[in-house]
Amino acid sequence: MSLTLPQSALSRRRVLQLLGIGAGTAALAACAPSAPSSTGAAASAAAAGGAKTDFAFSSWSFTEEAAAPALEAIVKAYQDQAGVTVDDVSFPYNEYINQLTLQVKGGQFTGAAHVDVAWLGSLAAMGKLQDLSALTEGRGYTDAALTAAQFDGVQYGLPWTIGAIGLVANSEILQKADIDPDAFPTTVDAFEKALKDLKGLGGGLIPYAASTKAAQLKDILIWMETFGSPLVDGDTVTIGDDASVEAVTWYKSLYDQKLIAADVDRFDARSLFAQGRAAIYDDAPVGRNAVQEESPDKDLGSKLVPLSRPVLKDGETPRALVWGGAIAVVDGEGAETAADFAQFATSDLDTVLADYEVRGLPPVTTEAQQSDVVAADTFGSLFNDRITATSTSNPFWKFTAYSQIETVVAEQVQAVLVGKTDAKAAMQKAGEAAQKLVG
Amino acid sequence: MSATTQLPAAPTPPSASSPADDAPRPPQRLRRGALRSERPGVRFAAWATVVVCGGFGLLPVYWLLATSLTPRDQVFSYPPKFFPSAPTLDAFAALASNDQLFGYLRNSVIVSVITAVLSVLVSAYMGYSFSKFRYRGRRSLMYLVLASQMFPQALLLVTLYSVFSAYGLLNTYTALVLSFTTFTLPLCVWMLKGFFDTIPDELIEAARVDGASRLRIIHSIVLPLAAPGLIAAGLFAFVRGWNDFVFALTLAGPEKQTLPPGLVNTFIGEASTAWPELMAASLVVSLPVAIAFIALQKYLVGGLTAGAVKG
Repeated sequence: MSLTLPQSALSRRRVLQLLGIGAGTAALAACAPSAPSSTGAAASAAAAGGAKTDFAFSSWSFTEEAAAPALEAIVKAYQDQAGVTVDDVSFPYNEYINQLTLQVKGGQFTGAAHVDVAWLGSLAAMGKLQDLSALTEGRGYTDAALTAAQFDGVQYGLPWTIGAIGLVANSEILQKADIDPDAFPTTVDAFEKALKDLKGLGGGLIPYAASTKAAQLKDILIWMETFGSPLVDGDTVTIGDDASVEAVTWYKSLYDQKLIAADVDRFDARSLFAQGRAAIYDDAPVGRNAVQEESPDKDLGSKLVPLSRPVLKDGETPRALVWGGAIAVVDGEGAETAADFAQFATSDLDTVLADYEVRGLPPVTTEAQQSDVVAADTFGSLFNDRITATSTSNPFWKFTAYSQIETVVAEQVQAVLVGKTDAKAAMQKAGEAAQKLVG
Repeated sequence: MSATTQLPAAPTPPSASSPADDAPRPPQRLRRGALRSERPGVRFAAWATVVVCGGFGLLPVYWLLATSLTPRDQVFSYPPKFFPSAPTLDAFAALASNDQLFGYLRNSVIVSVITAVLSVLVSAYMGYSFSKFRYRGRRSLMYLVLASQMFPQALLLVTLYSVFSAYGLLNTYTALVLSFTTFTLPLCVWMLKGFFDTIPDELIEAARVDGASRLRIIHSIVLPLAAPGLIAAGLFAFVRGWNDFVFALTLAGPEKQTLPPGLVNTFIGEASTAWPELMAASLVVSLPVAIAFIALQKYLVGGLTAGAVKG
């Protein structure tokens, strides 16, 4: 038996028509044009000192146990000073850029946004970031910090905590292998020998917890630059050149000799290092607190030593990748006050030093860097001298598809590490894939 | 109930089994002592399989518990310790003092329960329509409903975000409930259609002969018989709402955020993860779902397998 409905209810064609209209409406809503952008107006007004209004401030650190108190203190200080309310917005770090992009595109978010300097290009492409150059005058920002927060020559962010990603070692383990942390090998060959000496200590020690998981294998780019590859020349990707192939071949040889370990990303490397199972790894200043928290060695902090990355030939400049955070201002409601807040948070001396005492991240003004508090931090000072001083931006950051570019390169490097292909073919393929993404 | 609307007991066709016989049943338990009667080797192999499979399933849960009791500086100690050497309840104490987590919990309960109720309500009528009515476009509609499952969720997320934004629904429970229901509905509809297919048409016909209206047939006869299926569909929808991360993160905003994004936001940072606290929170928040499953598992299994075998 089956029951029947009157034929006049809905024809199949009518149902499909209605569904088509619904889908079309949704698609139109998705494609709705965003508000036109303006650049620099709010920053100029903020510099001129206009009336203050409430605004939103987004940061991934608002919910982080260690960093939240620093941010809350900054916000409170500004609220007290300006007499406004700052709404905090937070997303997990790994989801932050996607969420922020969606919110900015949808017009849901305006105000100040804590951003990784690597994201500035992607965010600037939306046309909603303010040019903050008017706010940099007379605040004492270092040139290097200002450059790090620029994209295409425009000051899309005010630098907040600028450092670099470099080699960090456990001095106690180095000394056990008769390696002087203050006279660490400067060339790639000497570095490899030092790694072998460290491996000779036994006990399953990983001499260098370099990234070998695809998710973090973008770290190979700095080694490619060390071997002499520019990575990009104008809009032409150079990966696949002799230098990049040599770098990957060398990395693979470290892998085969078990001087670096399989399946390691930044989180793994921190854990291995914190447990004393790795002697050297790559990290930014932000990793310092993390390894100390995870380590059973309560004295690990005093054993941390930053090292200059070795170079191919003596006399060359050690390479390091710029790392850091900036505050960008998204045009719209409250942007003017948000720009003023960005300036306050990043360059007001008392605020910056109070922040430094909690988060320990490198400040960006000359005055703050020369202060007693910062100068007394041996690790921070050495990191600045040995690593940050010669750091450069990732040349792929200028492309909006930089993340996909890093991924295609990482996948090919991983294929080399596991022996699926050779370095030359892999880098050729990576270069071609990256070039397609560059356009 | 008045005499005129009293429904007589459904006639049982001689060749057909009774509705109660047709209704799906939970899997039969193994007869007590069944294993005992086998040869020792077979018995050992059977128990070994049970232990291995049980261990495989329960080891992650144990590891969750062990990590939640381990001090943070020993989480990655090497060699790994199966039993925490210095167990501590610090992580649970930290949870208890975190008011935000209770807010996330409240949001999760509200959103998941409403999603479950709404999904069951809508899919029951849709499933009944697909199962018991014949009309033009029925089959196309059925597959169209299922087709929505084939779009990548990320793609739908962007579209939904724009639509919700246009209608001012972002950062509301409504946005979450609507989006979760969108995803649970197709499977719930198909699940319940299968369940309704097992209810004999003769039963419905008899009720009609006795003068019952369509709505009365659905509400007084069909739905009570389909209770296991409704519970299974409701549980499925509840779990979908409870576990979702991306939609809850994107559509809910800080005030309406549910547990999955809330936990990630609270315990996973840029440079480090508070593993003991995260594991403790995961353990605590999974308890309601685990208890619901244990209490309703016989319905869930029956509901999911209904209509799977045509008899």
